[in-house]
Amino acid sequence: MSRLNDHFRGAARVLGFVALVLGVGAVFALIEPRFLSHASLSGIARHMAANGLAALGLTFVVIVRKFDLSIAGIAAFAAMSMGALIAAGLPLWAAIMGGLALGAVLGAISGIAISYFELPDIVTTIAVGSICGGLAFLYTGGRSIFQNFFQSGITDLNDARLLGLGVSLWILLAVYAAAWFVMSRTRTGMAFYATGENPVAAHFSGIATRRFVALAYVLCALCTVLAVLLILAESGNAETNKGANLMMPAYAGVFLGAAVMGGTSVVATFGGILLITMLLDGFALMGVPYYYSDGVVSLILLGGVIAFSDSLREWITGLGLLRPRAARKSENRA
Amino acid sequence: MATPVLTASDVSKRFGPVQALRGVDFHVGPGEVHALLGINGAGKSTFIKILSGIIQKDGGTLTVAGREVHFRTPEDAIRAGIATVQQHPELVADMSGLDNIFLGRETAGRGLFARIDRAALEARAEALLARFAVPLDLRQEVGQMSAVEREAVAILQALAVDGIRVLILDEPTSTLTEVEREDLFALMNQLKTRGISIIYITHQLEEVFAIADSFSVFRAGTCVARMSVAEARESRVSLAELMLGEAVGDVFPPKAGAPAGEALLELEGLGRPHEFTDISLQARRGEILGIFGLVGSGCDELSKTIFGALPAARGTIRVHGREVALRSPRAALDAGIFLVPGDRRSEGLALSRPALFNVPLANLRRASGGFWALRRGRLRRDAQELTRQVALHPPSLTTPASGFSGGNQQKIVLAKGLYSEADIYIFVEPTVGVDIGARAKIYAQMRALARTAAVVVISSDCDEVHGVADRTVALHKGRLVAPGARGFSRDDLLMAGIMGEVAA
Repeated sequence: MSRLNDHFRGAARVLGFVALVLGVGAVFALIEPRFLSHASLSGIARHMAANGLAALGLTFVVIVRKFDLSIAGIAAFAAMSMGALIAAGLPLWAAIMGGLALGAVLGAISGIAISYFELPDIVTTIAVGSICGGLAFLYTGGRSIFQNFFQSGITDLNDARLLGLGVSLWILLAVYAAAWFVMSRTRTGMAFYATGENPVAAHFSGIATRRFVALAYVLCALCTVLAVLLILAESGNAETNKGANLMMPAYAGVFLGAAVMGGTSVVATFGGILLITMLLDGFALMGVPYYYSDGVVSLILLGGVIAFSDSLREWITGLGLLRPRAARKSENRA
Repeated sequence: MATPVLTASDVSKRFGPVQALRGVDFHVGPGEVHALLGINGAGKSTFIKILSGIIQKDGGTLTVAGREVHFRTPEDAIRAGIATVQQHPELVADMSGLDNIFLGRETAGRGLFARIDRAALEARAEALLARFAVPLDLRQEVGQMSAVEREAVAILQALAVDGIRVLILDEPTSTLTEVEREDLFALMNQLKTRGISIIYITHQLEEVFAIADSFSVFRAGTCVARMSVAEARESRVSLAELMLGEAVGDVFPPKAGAPAGEALLELEGLGRPHEFTDISLQARRGEILGIFGLVGSGCDELSKTIFGALPAARGTIRVHGREVALRSPRAALDAGIFLVPGDRRSEGLALSRPALFNVPLANLRRASGGFWALRRGRLRRDAQELTRQVALHPPSLTTPASGFSGGNQQKIVLAKGLYSEADIYIFVEPTVGVDIGARAKIYAQMRALARTAAVVVISSDCDEVHGVADRTVALHKGRLVAPGARGFSRDDLLMAGIMGEVAA
């Protein structure tokens, strides 16, 4: 009985989300018919792939109740590093491996500092991010890297198609599927959630909470590297500002998804980032300048989180209590 | 009898489908200490929240000194003369007692920059202390104070407003030692002689006879009995029976019938500087070992050392006869030791998660198969079975742990322990904040566990330790006080824990 109820409630939230996505899509389509064009939709899919990977990484960190503000810095450093490796003539796979290895090291630095040495998460990740932002200028002094890009085949990640969908979208779906399985179907996922819910109780349950906090930062950095890789593939060159627009959509996606779905999860982040990407691309299509995009995303984030917050719900139900005076009286008599 | 200072008649309150209170009639006279009794879920808390203006009643009337009142906010209640001290008073730890008492009421002036007149504050504090002679240094930081001193600060804070006639104390003794409790009772008696009425919530039934003049019993959302303590004594009413609505047997289950088996846990010369020294103990299969110690005696640290959460500086721990190095709770769990921690909310449970999440946490290996994948069907069946075994109420696997009463939260921790398949169970303060009905069930579970495992109960409640354990020792200032060959009587155990001496 209660089990059915839970399923029903979960399904209702998913349906609500789908309705929200369809509603937003319909509004954009009415205002700007080009929104539903093939070019626009495949653009959304591409942008969603990059935004979605960064948001997924952040999801792990938010699940253990921490913050990571180094995403932009790590993205920039990883972009220039992979660009330099490609320019040096290394094969694409080696450049990607190099980028991932760099991400793992950077994530581990933040993660170990925060979990084992108990440094404050926000300060630590701002520091790591800023250092990375500076190191991004190491290779060229800030000039764009594009040598060997076309020969390396990196642009195929953006252009190639598989069963009618872009390769980048397949990468996104594969990584999300793996993350969903780990987080909601394995004991590793339970350990992540337990660490975030109550680290002391998790420790007393024999869970290596520090290890999971550190791991969350490593995963976040790895996802950030994959996200910026897709951005390099789309633009065909590496620049120091490549990761600058990853962070705000990632936060917006994670928290908006959590607000709508009632908790942070891989599925919630997927929905959240879909919504955010649609809104971003839709506004861009309507001619809203790109430099407003962070502002727009932040506005949506605040609005969404407030709209789905418990206190607003209580306030609304509070209004509802004023309604059926007669009904309540009869209940009291019963 | 004098006219009541506070009267409630026909008060009702509904939360969604739940009728939390119906037709509650209640009154308390001037200078009366009135105990409010009831098991968790009986409606005490809801009623108190209505009296203190935190929530609003749906129907019925409240009168203070004969005048009808309507409370929309806690401020309304305070203005009408009703002050409440919550179960865990919210005090600012690194401010002095004085600053806490007048927090937010430092000055009559308005605005951000209104000047605080310290001399005037101190004079007001002096006046308060003159009215209620509490041995308390108000210049001390609250964080440095003992539990009873903090309670006194919270009470003075409540009384700092002029015209308080009724003081509500929500389980003030739950964190106090027996000695501290006497201090609190002395303070309550003083308040009483100043004409202040006290409504007092407690789960400790013997306290009713020690301090209260009268009491009301709540059951299933209504007040089922109100009588004076003298009447109750005369007619030999059973409070527990009134609360539960049925006759209760002994709270404590019978002691072990068979002699204890082999030693599963052996401590030898265990010590940590400034906490406890030279602890040598054995816990055997088939028995419950009780350790009685006051707050600060080292009990909590000892339990955490056995569980691997604190390193032992000296001594050895043997499990199943083999020496083990317990470097982490993981190592202890692997050795078969499970700790039911003293603070289940912060140490035992993921509160926003349901039983289905909490039960398997200490043994995730059992819950998963290849690729660490959870075996969800089996996990659900096991959790269902275990929550049924511990009589979780309501028997829901999907309600967040925070939605259960204290006793039922403890049952979830217990189910988690059963799932971990340990054979050494350590219970720390197992029934703090647990009502009498659930308490009996938890003791029965311990006895059931002890049939196949070793159970250690560590508590600052002497009656609990003596009542449930087959063999008892006391911990006094970090030293073990062991009885002679015949074991401790209840009074000897109390003496040993408080004074550190074995009666001749």
